Amino acid sequence: MAVMGNKKSKVSDEVPSSSMADIAFLLLVFFLVTTTFPKDAGLAIVLPEQGEDVAVSQRNILHIVIQPTGIVDVKRGESPQVQQVRPEDIESIWRQDVAANDNLIAAVKTHPDAPYRFMVDVLDALHTAGAERISLQILEG
Amino acid sequence: MAIKGGGFSRKSKTSSEVPSSSMADIAFLLLIFFMVSTVFQKDRDRPIEWPEAEATQKIDEKIKNILNIWVERNGDVFINDRPYAMTDVSTTVGPLYAASDRALVISIRSDREVRYSTIDLLQQQLVAAGVMRVVFATEMEQRMTRERR
Repeated sequence: MAVMGNKKSKVSDEVPSSSMADIAFLLLVFFLVTTTFPKDAGLAIVLPEQGEDVAVSQRNILHIVIQPTGIVDVKRGESPQVQQVRPEDIESIWRQDVAANDNLIAAVKTHPDAPYRFMVDVLDALHTAGAERISLQILEG
Repeated sequence: MAIKGGGFSRKSKTSSEVPSSSMADIAFLLLIFFMVSTVFQKDRDRPIEWPEAEATQKIDEKIKNILNIWVERNGDVFINDRPYAMTDVSTTVGPLYAASDRALVISIRSDREVRYSTIDLLQQQLVAAGVMRVVFATEMEQRMTRERR
């Protein structure tokens, strides 16, 4: 009888499976915690109430005109001088001008045919520069 | 020898423990049930290309207080998976805004190439509905990609 295979090994030949559920739960909790829903973010603005028109002195307005090509025309108050810049340059322009005038308002006028993303680029630059008084308009005429 | 152990020496053949091997299965079953029955968003994602902005901030509002208005590249407006004419947006959003106790935040999810005249009309509709808080939904832009542009 005692020839071969009779002596049983004391070490179990199975992979221990009792902690498998723990491992699975650990992975699950890890992914639950690290998952974020990415798209609920953006640039917040506050719309004016209907019929709310405030007269603002021209010298407190920074006119920002967005052309369909993405070129941005910057005009200060009543001065006829027009400065052509890129959307991302608005950030430094706002920082400079707001340092000189605390009551400055950014009037963003977008051409009807301009893509939405150029307006977002300008709004982004203004938000980055910390601007809060922003007026979004459409370019008329 | 026969009386040793007070006559209680015969062990019961049924195990005295509650079987725990299927506990994980039960837990997973519950988990899958709740995963399937949970509804996250009212509307599905529409095929749009997001505009990018560096100053992108998270919306500080509960998910149920955020209403998404989708604007596709050709100018079609979708609210809660249903297409709307631009002129109907005000009358659609108005009651929802009132029902939410004026806490509703409108998230404008527009394609980056949409003409601005469409966005302006949408803003006018929202102003007419009395909405105050609007977010232009954007994707986070890294400074590296901006410098390359």
